[in-house]
Amino acid sequence: MCSTTEQQHQVEIVSKEQVLGRKPVAILEKIKDNLERLNEKMEVIIELQKHDHKDGPQPLQDAPLDVMTLLSMPDHLRKTAMTVCRSGRATADEISLQTTRARAVESAYLNQLVLMGYLKKERKGRKAYFYAERESEVET
Amino acid sequence: MGKIIAVHSYKGGTGKTLLSVNLAATFAKQGKKVCLFDLDFRAPSLFAILKIASAENWFNDYLNNTCDINKTLIDVSSRIPGKGKLFIGLANPTTEAIRDMSAKDRKWEMRALGRLLHLRNALLNEQKFDYIIFDTSPGLQYSSINAIVAADLVAVATTGDRSDVDGTSRMLKELYNLFEKKTGIVLNKVLDYNSESRRKELYDRVKNIYQVPLLGIVPCFCDILRAEGNFIFAQDKPDHPFSTLLNEMAKKIDANEVK
Repeated sequence: MCSTTEQQHQVEIVSKEQVLGRKPVAILEKIKDNLERLNEKMEVIIELQKHDHKDGPQPLQDAPLDVMTLLSMPDHLRKTAMTVCRSGRATADEISLQTTRARAVESAYLNQLVLMGYLKKERKGRKAYFYAERESEVET
Repeated sequence: MGKIIAVHSYKGGTGKTLLSVNLAATFAKQGKKVCLFDLDFRAPSLFAILKIASAENWFNDYLNNTCDINKTLIDVSSRIPGKGKLFIGLANPTTEAIRDMSAKDRKWEMRALGRLLHLRNALLNEQKFDYIIFDTSPGLQYSSINAIVAADLVAVATTGDRSDVDGTSRMLKELYNLFEKKTGIVLNKVLDYNSESRRKELYDRVKNIYQVPLLGIVPCFCDILRAEGNFIFAQDKPDHPFSTLLNEMAKKIDANEVK
């Protein structure tokens, strides 16, 4: 049986763990999340500069991603957009597996398509999902 | 895993529907589970060829999101010899429906693409269909391009007509290649196809012009014209040379020879 002093000591230890263990981990996770978001934004800027976005389609709000739009897109974005259309809803990782291009590259193209209004982005926990339009997902 | 084939052409009257129906019947005769859809919403013809006057649900209804895909499927397997299965989904031929389909906006077309893409899961994955065949309308129509995007293989029906050759070449560069589609050419209505030297000349010419695999060369058969759309050759005349050619095309598609 534990004495009262021992019980108090255990409570103190748990409380120290909370302060020294769990909180710093949560802070580090938050920093990592923020860094990932910053990284994604940087990738978009780099890709926009690389492909001279002035010549590409101009940003639009909720522009429909129909086949004529796909046809008018530059090759690198069409490939990503078509893969999203086929997948319905996917992460940059999943898209990169299908296109066999690097995840960072796909992430940049996906974010560029979001900026153009062709795709939507939704965060669930640590993952970012991309999709063309909710209504295009078929309920049968 | 099954395949989706879009039968397309630059011009009308190149034999897309004849090819689609007979290819579907050929696969079914070989024991495959096949589904043929009429995507020529501006000039539906499958209902007339298959002599089905009315349907409870049309393929239009599926694209309009008013019914499930299974409700549009009509089982015509009893017409095909053997254990294969053949289902069809018809385009609504009424003037009202044609007018309605011609007036769709870009957002609707985007959703229609989503529903065509969904067929891979609903029919190929879940119901184990071996083939889905889309009989499309000619040229750059929304419904045709949607079908091409959703397909694994595009079978392009073309003739020797100068404008057709020119248009087909452009579509190869500016449509099928942009969507990274496997494409096979079917040269239809060929005259003077009897000698071996003529066959070789045509084969080389097609390869040279289009630079994609050739699915087949179909001579201009008077029997086909005489039939006036009343026969499905693969089913009604299995020994006809046209049926033999279709068997060869089906074999090439089945063996993934079009890359």
